[in-house]
Amino acid sequence: MTRKRWLPIAVLAAVALALGACGGDDGGGGTKEGDGQLTVFSLWGGSEQEAFQKVLDKFTADTGIKTKYESARDFLPVIRTKLAAGNPPEVAIIPRPGVVAELARDDSLISLEDLGLDPDKINENYSDTWTSLATVDDTVYGVVAKANSKSTIWYKPNSFQQNNFQIPKTWDELMQITKDYKAKGDSPWAVGAQGRDNSWTLTDWFENIYARQAGQDNYTKLFNGDLAFNDQSVKDALNTMTSVVNDQYVAGGIDTALGIGFVDGIGRVFSKHPVAEMYMEGGFVGGIALGQVNKDLKVGQDIDFFPWPQINQANGNPLVGGGDVASAFVNDSDAAKLIDYLATPEAGKIWVSTGAIASPNKGVTASDYPNELVSKEAEQLKTAESFLFDGSDLLPGTLGQDFGTLLQKIVKNPNNMNTLLDDYQAGAEKAFAQQD
Amino acid sequence: MSSTAVPGPVGRPRGRRLPFYKRENWQALLFIGPAVLVLAGLVLYPLINTIVLSFANTNGRLEITRWVGFDNYKTLFTDDKDFLNLEVFPPEGALINNLKWVVLYTSISLALGLLIAVLSVRVFYESYIKAVIFIPMAISATAVAIIWKFVYDPDPNIGSLNAVISAFGADPISWYGRADVVNYALIFAYVWASTGFAMVVLSAALKGISQEVIEAARTDGASEWDIFRRIQLPLLSLPISVVAVWLLINVIKLFDIIYVMTGGGPGNASEVIAFTMYDETFQNGEAGYGAAVAVVMLLLIVPIMLFNIRRFRSERVVG
Amino acid sequence: MATAEVSVERPAATTGEKAVRMISRTPIHVGLLLIAVIWLVPTVGLAVTSFRPRDEIQSSSWWSSLTDFNFTLHNYDLVLTNAKMGTAFVSSLMITIPSTLLPLTLAAMAAYAFSWIRFPFRDTIFLLIVALMVVPIQMALVPLLQRFRDFGLADWYWGIWLAHTAFGLPLGIFLLRNFFITLPRDLIEAAKVDGASHARIFLKVVLPLSVPALASFAIFQFLWVWNDLLMALIFVQNSDLWPMTIRINQLQSTYGIEWHLLSAGAFLLMIVPLAVFFALQRYFVQGLLSGSVK
Repeated sequence: MTRKRWLPIAVLAAVALALGACGGDDGGGGTKEGDGQLTVFSLWGGSEQEAFQKVLDKFTADTGIKTKYESARDFLPVIRTKLAAGNPPEVAIIPRPGVVAELARDDSLISLEDLGLDPDKINENYSDTWTSLATVDDTVYGVVAKANSKSTIWYKPNSFQQNNFQIPKTWDELMQITKDYKAKGDSPWAVGAQGRDNSWTLTDWFENIYARQAGQDNYTKLFNGDLAFNDQSVKDALNTMTSVVNDQYVAGGIDTALGIGFVDGIGRVFSKHPVAEMYMEGGFVGGIALGQVNKDLKVGQDIDFFPWPQINQANGNPLVGGGDVASAFVNDSDAAKLIDYLATPEAGKIWVSTGAIASPNKGVTASDYPNELVSKEAEQLKTAESFLFDGSDLLPGTLGQDFGTLLQKIVKNPNNMNTLLDDYQAGAEKAFAQQD
Repeated sequence: MSSTAVPGPVGRPRGRRLPFYKRENWQALLFIGPAVLVLAGLVLYPLINTIVLSFANTNGRLEITRWVGFDNYKTLFTDDKDFLNLEVFPPEGALINNLKWVVLYTSISLALGLLIAVLSVRVFYESYIKAVIFIPMAISATAVAIIWKFVYDPDPNIGSLNAVISAFGADPISWYGRADVVNYALIFAYVWASTGFAMVVLSAALKGISQEVIEAARTDGASEWDIFRRIQLPLLSLPISVVAVWLLINVIKLFDIIYVMTGGGPGNASEVIAFTMYDETFQNGEAGYGAAVAVVMLLLIVPIMLFNIRRFRSERVVG
Repeated sequence: MATAEVSVERPAATTGEKAVRMISRTPIHVGLLLIAVIWLVPTVGLAVTSFRPRDEIQSSSWWSSLTDFNFTLHNYDLVLTNAKMGTAFVSSLMITIPSTLLPLTLAAMAAYAFSWIRFPFRDTIFLLIVALMVVPIQMALVPLLQRFRDFGLADWYWGIWLAHTAFGLPLGIFLLRNFFITLPRDLIEAAKVDGASHARIFLKVVLPLSVPALASFAIFQFLWVWNDLLMALIFVQNSDLWPMTIRINQLQSTYGIEWHLLSAGAFLLMIVPLAVFFALQRYFVQGLLSGSVK
């Protein structure tokens, strides 16, 4: 009589087979030959993703290398699990320079030199402000993929005309418009700052105010760790901010603001059933408003933007802007080619032709932009008298994310400002110390 | 089919049964081998590994950079305001949130489950009511989060709850945008999903109570309430504790619904410790710190399980 | 367990008594119906929304559409193709089925040994395994991820299959063993006397008699894995392989809250668990009960 041992043996065999399935080994130094296939990872979806896909398609057409675009809303956790599992994407577009620095210091990124590219040649395409974003400890780790201005305020030209409002050049004028709208029974502002994914909208408010109120030097010091977050200048800026971002002037009050996402916030002003008049956010609002929120908007009538007004004349009108950095995680020739391609004016032109972004590439000119809104933004970027990078994106580690959370708490409870700032400063000191 | 014989270890057989006994050992090995291997390698080993990891710091790639002893634990309990903030009253933090869940989620689910079990027995549509209450048990916490995010939407045209509130003339409430109500909103959503379990267990237990005792009490003039309080409730103490254990373990492991509905927000107001672990490990890259949080989770579950096992054992002795 | 007698009171005899009982029970009826409404409204609201055109969702309430009757399947179409929920559905299946069959097999084998084979340390090992039920997944995420990488298992679905199998085993072994020991000892002894090996007894005697218990655990595990989010987040890196729970989450942020997509997605997510539940309700409930009540 045979003992039926086949069942357990079969199971053991299956397990053995599974264990035997070999994964790839990571390449040693030097650029490997690519396999004609590459994964690009970022957090864009929607219209931004479609625009980028066009760039990738052209790349494939030119080089024959197939690309696959992946996106996830939790950029960092997904990157970390991929790295921990040994499965990083070949190229990723990183939304924050602070993150670029961290990944570079962990040896997760491949520098341009190691990829076999010439950093100096690539950086000819950009001005210094931009290249510094992709540079960590004097080594260049990527190229700036797209740029946007955050110093834009979106409004409805029709409404301004009806009310005889002029484009405000100073903060006081903006406040006056705010009050006038309110007096008429309209909600002057909409804000969408819900949860972790949207708190950055509040940081943009703060940065624009702080740069104009406290000046560029203080701005740079603040986000470098050389000025404390509980400094009086910060408190003054926060007071200015909450004089507008409060229950009185924001549609639905702060509770609603903290309960909706930034796309919904745009919708509050520009959808077919608007409840507010003005929206503060970056140049990309145009693309999203036209592409997703309300396709019937007419540029120049229903939607347009004006640049942030001055607060303190001495501090002028610095432009606060953001950008994404494309970096390689795997040292193979496919990744190198893509990075190289993304830095070319040609890639920039294709990308901006979709109307979704503005490009920091010097080779892209105003005529390459398909619509007025984006070319206006690009113009603003080019002609800015001074440029400041989005501060919260520069902060190391989790400080950037925490800054958004901090602002959420402050707009909800301005009276708690001092305690909240003290706590944040304590955390900031640690994070900056760890960095050095 | 009602044999309750429990095979236990028998004294060592003698004589010519010895070879069979030895053969049995090999067979046993084959039967439990694969399972034991998998458990040892994929549960036990990581368990130990994580405990060890909790005494270290890691870099962004989750590799250990240096050993820090108990520092992670120290920071967790004394210096991390998102985890435990005793400086304000009432205290705040992820750990405190779990406590809110422990108290509210457990008691409300039990109370509702019991209520429905008791009431539904008396109506002819009992099985339909029970099905309605029980169905949410089958769907994922992700689906529960989305369903309730819909209910809680601040726009009265979408959010059913705010529609009711507006109908009464009040302003809509931003249920998951406000730090003071978000936890209660989440708790009730999960109660909705879990009451079915309490109801089914308690209903089955209720029906197992001998009718004679109840009839006798009734003829003695006892009111329905008396019968409930003095006869049924005490006999339900075992099933109630079973349900309570299940609910408590759920509370410690809570993750999906927080992640999907609020992402821990607004700010950190709705974070719970399982979420903290994920956040610290994968968002912040501090796997050692996250491991410390995981160990805390384990330490919280163990007493609950010990209680369960003791009860299980005492039952074996009795039953 | 005593036989279940359903009604708690003597049934009403006369029509008069019946009427009185109905009326005196009115508060109960009202209460129960109120509870039923609260329980149904959330799901029904979302279901109705999933069939409404996008513009209408923002502008009018969902219950008003019950009278308008302007419904469409467009949302489902969008979600299945553009939002890739169709692929995600297949992925969910690919993840769930092996993650159910594998632990079922291993647990059944082990449970049999714990019930009907005598070997040294049997009870101790059993208790240890049951103790492992406590371990939260968080304790294993990072080590597993790194070891999977080391063994080349981080690709495809290998990692998540193994992880789900491992964490499903303690409960499976516990449930099945508790069932197996209730089988008639005589049957098993008789087979032994006939000279059958344990493998034969397991396959020919125990398994056929245990279909309800096996089904209970299988359904329980199936639903658990199908509904899982955290393990998939960590162990399934390739976005092509994402199951529905992750996909639907991605829907949330990229488009703001677009209810027309999210509602349809949520229902696609729920179809399988609900179908399993309705078809195999008895087994599911049994699984839950036996897992906790003993």
